Amino acid sequence: MMHPLKWPLFALPALALLTLPASAGQNVEWKDDGTVLIKLGEAYNNAVIQTTREELGTEFGPDKQPFKDVTISVTVNGAGPKGGISGPLYQFRPIWEELSGGKLNIVELPFAEHYTKMMLDLRNGTGQYDAFMVGAFWYGDIAPAGYAFPIDELNKSGKYPKWTYDDMPDSLRALHQWKGVGYGVLNDGDGQVLYYRSDVLADKTHQEAFKKEYGYDLPNPPQTWQQLLDVSKYFNGKNWDATDADPDSGTVLHLKVGEQGHYHFQTLSSSFVLNPGDKVTRTKNVYWFDPEDMKPLINSPGHVKALEFLQELHKTGPQAQVGWSLGEAWDYFLRGKAVFAFSWGDLGALCQDESRSKVKGKCSATAIPSSNEYYDFEKKEFVKLDKPRLVGNTVGGSWHGVISNFSANPEAAYSLLSLMAIKPASKLMATVGWDGVDPGFKYQFLKEDGGTADVEDYVKAGWDANDAKSYVHAYYQVFTAPVMMPYLRIPGSFEYWDILDKNLSATMSGSKTAQQALDETAQSWEAVTDRIGRDKQKADYQAAIGYTP
Amino acid sequence: MRWTGKIRFLFLAPAVIWVLAFTVFPLGYSLYLAFYKIEQKVEVKREKQPMLDAAGQPVLDDAGQPRTKNVVIKEQVNTATFIGLDNFKRMLTDTQVHEAVRVTLTFVLIAVPLELALGFLLAVLFNQHIFGRPILRAIMILPIFATPLAVGYTFFTIFYEVGGPLAWTGIPFLSNPTWALMSVIIVDVWQWTPFCFLVFLAALQGVPDELYEAARVDGANAWDMLKEVMLPLLIPTIVIVLLLRMAEALKLFDIPFALTGGGPGVATQPFSMLAFRTGLRFFDLGYASAMSYAFLAVIMIVITLFFRRLRANYG
Repeated sequence: MMHPLKWPLFALPALALLTLPASAGQNVEWKDDGTVLIKLGEAYNNAVIQTTREELGTEFGPDKQPFKDVTISVTVNGAGPKGGISGPLYQFRPIWEELSGGKLNIVELPFAEHYTKMMLDLRNGTGQYDAFMVGAFWYGDIAPAGYAFPIDELNKSGKYPKWTYDDMPDSLRALHQWKGVGYGVLNDGDGQVLYYRSDVLADKTHQEAFKKEYGYDLPNPPQTWQQLLDVSKYFNGKNWDATDADPDSGTVLHLKVGEQGHYHFQTLSSSFVLNPGDKVTRTKNVYWFDPEDMKPLINSPGHVKALEFLQELHKTGPQAQVGWSLGEAWDYFLRGKAVFAFSWGDLGALCQDESRSKVKGKCSATAIPSSNEYYDFEKKEFVKLDKPRLVGNTVGGSWHGVISNFSANPEAAYSLLSLMAIKPASKLMATVGWDGVDPGFKYQFLKEDGGTADVEDYVKAGWDANDAKSYVHAYYQVFTAPVMMPYLRIPGSFEYWDILDKNLSATMSGSKTAQQALDETAQSWEAVTDRIGRDKQKADYQAAIGYTP
Repeated sequence: MRWTGKIRFLFLAPAVIWVLAFTVFPLGYSLYLAFYKIEQKVEVKREKQPMLDAAGQPVLDDAGQPRTKNVVIKEQVNTATFIGLDNFKRMLTDTQVHEAVRVTLTFVLIAVPLELALGFLLAVLFNQHIFGRPILRAIMILPIFATPLAVGYTFFTIFYEVGGPLAWTGIPFLSNPTWALMSVIIVDVWQWTPFCFLVFLAALQGVPDELYEAARVDGANAWDMLKEVMLPLLIPTIVIVLLLRMAEALKLFDIPFALTGGGPGVATQPFSMLAFRTGLRFFDLGYASAMSYAFLAVIMIVITLFFRRLRANYG
């Protein structure tokens, strides 16, 4: 017989069950009116996402667990349960497991090994992993080889959580598709914008001193790279931030070899190189290769000038940044040590995290500056511009899920990835700094930019209103610019970029000149193209950039 | 009782299988890869098949319908084309290979002699009666037990140029190409000098006291004893340590991987890192195999010549 004192222990949970709404699991609550509440954990401050049965698709429901006993494995860059891109997987794991009845195995791999492990799995067709959180620059190696599972049918079926490519600007949509077929599930939007210290640029004393020294008004914010260099030079070495006694810097960069330094060069050089035009031709809107013969353009006078410019800009930051990854450079800006940083959306969100940042409320963003001249591929000379022209970019990985074609459970994998892609989840993730998910989709843009978000959405997530406004607008501008930096998505992209990266690093550390580094890059690229096959590369490159011979 | 012939083979089989599978086969296969270009094509088909329970009966879902599972059918076709010595010829014009060879040789030629010299001097010092010798000796050998990768990351924080513990020196430990290579050498010397020290100390302690006594009676000073007694007796040990360290140093990988990532540029990218990246990052497996075989051949030639010379000099 049960001891009388033990009765309350059993009675309490029973009472709780009786008082619950229509159906409530630990992480998902199904309301009678059709709304569904998804409860996130502490990492997201116990936020609750409100969605609907309709939005979750027909497969998930209070009495359904469509993938019971199914285990799926998803690889991701290793950053832990509260790290960029991997963090959201951990946070959504209990939710998806409750909805699906399946098990999610998160396979964290160091960035340097992720691509290798993925390709080994795909090349051998083992199907060990069901999905990969990929960088868009890996598409050239996985999509044309038939390693990726096309998702358009699953997306249209209405069975799984709903999201659409129509929410993406064309520039980002292109990164999730290959020859018009969808492979990638919406998650992260990557592109670089310029972050600047709004308080420092607005300082009257500095404005007067700058004008005296450079002969024109301190641009707030700079519109051209040349202006940015002047402002950077002016502030570099001065103790303009009173938080410590040490001198501060102009622009901080992350230039460590094997990491993401080459993206700085891509962003900066695009406006020195890209020739504007309505469509892609042999000389217009091309950056990487001549689409007719795959000869590298990387050592063109425009590229060389841009690299020389980057060397100058590097001098306005700490010398140590040659060995810095993203984290160190971001931290330097967040500690109030640099006026400028051009980087991804994570930085804007991290500015708002007062446990790391001293610059909340002073961290404005603007579209990336442009060069006041570019190299004309037809005339073979530099063309001066009267006014700055915006060149947008999607540099970075735009990290998102792609399903392996060897997966035995593509539907289960898709249901997980699409759950994380529904509008309210995606909106929430983009407002948080630590999760690595950056904005880029229509519902994350403000209404004045044709989106559906309000500044209040960001303020509720802890943002300073002015920082948020400038940040989202800057992203809208770089993703929808009339001239866009073309993304390299052909077989061997990783290798082409690695060669470029090493040569850039050698230039920034002073062991090669800009011309020498880019000439050697072009020479090595030729060898890679010949090895993979020039005709094959040409066909894939033409498809990737939308060039019609 | 004598084992019969067949049973002996049975007991040998695991070791033989292990060596064949994990040594002989990879060696043979990588040699094959060095001479062939492999192209892969894969076709994937899927079939829905009913799920069966342990009794072989169809598993039903909540609506009473049979549950199905996906079965992936793949057809993979590998095409191998003989390319002869192309991969080996490519190395002759590849600037990355030349640079990696330069980095590896610079590293070996500076780090290994330094480790031997410092290890020897420390061994001589610790061969004396000094205060707290057992404790100091134990502390001295601790670096050997650290994982090189962890050591690399630890020194990354020590050499951190903004706010790191050595930032006050103003030395660009990781951002200057020359200093970055020096930093890799410093870390390797820190980790492997204790190994040289330990072996030399053991050898020194094996030298009979009578020899020192006799030298002293003959009027030898400390320098004479070092030159005429210790060094000649330690030559065989020094040679062994030199070979072991050279073989290890030529395989340098972990420390630059963690400390510098091979940069700035390729200033600290040793040959083994280049081969690894070529093969397993860019999947140019044929070229990576050719690189590895060429490297192996060079090392074998150098070591053989070295041994021959030593044998000639010291019998």
